[in-house]
Amino acid sequence: MAEIEKKPYILIVDDDPDILEGIRTILESRSYRLATARDGKKCMEMIGQEIPDLLILDLLMPRMDGWGVIREMRSEPRYAHVPIMVLTTVIEDASRRRYELETGMAIDIQDYVQKPANPADLLLRVEKLLKIHV
Amino acid sequence: MFEVKSRSLSVTVERLRRSEIFRELCDEDLIAIAEFCREVSYQEGEIVLSESAPADTLYIVERGKLALEKKIQIGRHSTPRNATIGYVEAGKIAGFSTLSVPHEYSTSAMCLEPTRGIAVDGEALRHYLETHPAAGLKVMKILAALISSRYRNATNTLTYFLSIVSHELRSPLAAIENYLQTMLAGFAGELNPKQKRMVERSILRVADLRALIGDVVDLARMRPEQIQADFEWCNPGEVGTESIEDVRLAAAEKNIRIMVEPPEKFEPIVGARRRLRQVFTNMLNNAIKYSPPDSKVFFRAWYEPEAVVFEVEDEGPGIPEEDLPHIFKNFFRASNVEQVQGAGLGLSIAEKIIEAHQGKILARNVTAEIGKTGTRFTVYIPRDLKTPEMRRHEWMAAEAEQPLEESR
Repeated sequence: MAEIEKKPYILIVDDDPDILEGIRTILESRSYRLATARDGKKCMEMIGQEIPDLLILDLLMPRMDGWGVIREMRSEPRYAHVPIMVLTTVIEDASRRRYELETGMAIDIQDYVQKPANPADLLLRVEKLLKIHV
Repeated sequence: MFEVKSRSLSVTVERLRRSEIFRELCDEDLIAIAEFCREVSYQEGEIVLSESAPADTLYIVERGKLALEKKIQIGRHSTPRNATIGYVEAGKIAGFSTLSVPHEYSTSAMCLEPTRGIAVDGEALRHYLETHPAAGLKVMKILAALISSRYRNATNTLTYFLSIVSHELRSPLAAIENYLQTMLAGFAGELNPKQKRMVERSILRVADLRALIGDVVDLARMRPEQIQADFEWCNPGEVGTESIEDVRLAAAEKNIRIMVEPPEKFEPIVGARRRLRQVFTNMLNNAIKYSPPDSKVFFRAWYEPEAVVFEVEDEGPGIPEEDLPHIFKNFFRASNVEQVQGAGLGLSIAEKIIEAHQGKILARNVTAEIGKTGTRFTVYIPRDLKTPEMRRHEWMAAEAEQPLEESR
């Protein structure tokens, strides 16, 4: 039991099941505990049950999009500290601008990766983000 | 949504007169039309009318704002999305399809803020205009002007559509690339050398396709103002390094060495960082594509008093002299490169980006100078460009001086 508790818990959110499987396959090579969600609503539900050590988040999704998830996470003190890595096909300046237009605030995320993610690079970034959190 | 019976006909007449569509009509017409009007109000987020539903009501907005939206779905698997193609503000109308066959709404309209207005019964209005041709003609003239202005807006709509198309095309590619990279890195088991080679080739081909989709979309929305809006201070050395990183795999594939000759020190310049990277990456990719295996590509940069200069030179076959004047045109490909993949958009995009920077991009063959074949692309970027922030400050300073000049 104690063994499981120690593994960092990563929640991956993307509406594309193939992306989920690809990212999962890469991250499974490390000692992480992984969970996935297909949309923003489900993501918030799962975070309500257990707060992840890292959130890997797509932006364009049905039900609630990634910008919505970031907004909710950052306005809820219990989740505000969770590092967020955005992983999307949307270019970075466009997403930042959209978030600023919608909220009047700068987007508070810890990393931004444009798809497709290079596996070795992804692992490095994930490791780094998990350290920030600890 | 709730409705209230018009308080009085004369009030409604005055309100109708203020709308763009009925402003030319006489009192008699307006009184008749007021008979089949009702007051409406909507809350933020409410749908006022739906695309392709029967158009039975014309809406005049008096306060608030509606967004006109069209549903876009590309392919069977993609999520349908709503693209905003225009807005309807106070005095304007929504639902002009009410007046044109086949009486189906051509867009949806959604409330952006609490909105109040008048709903005019479509069937009654059509009947009135048919039986009162003078009024009908006035309304139709205004309607024609309105539709023609919406038509001019079509460029914006196209840009929006393209950005969605591009996302829908890129998403499946990203999934494929992700799987291929995962396999190549051995996360799904060891590959034998032949499988590894095939996966490597697939990654390159898919990356080409992704770049091509990006190019087609970029070309459609590449306007100087859009590029200039992204101007910021950036280190051209860093941008160049990113571009080299972009082409590393393609260069390794043909065993081409990129020889970098930077200036002693890079000074920051104002420019659209992501776009400049696109230009350099494109120049390097071009050079690599047209170079023979095991050759060198030179990437140089230096400063002149007025400009920073970037140069990419290859040891390829050169560009036929008769083709040189055309290489920056859309979809142009030189006559001697049939075996090389490409759509011929890269250079025209590069030129558009450099022009937005008030710079220039030149191409020439260097065969005579270096004693072997080769092409050299040179980009000049002025060093005195301004960020939007700097321009705003200048404008404000000029405004502040204005009254002084007038009083002189």
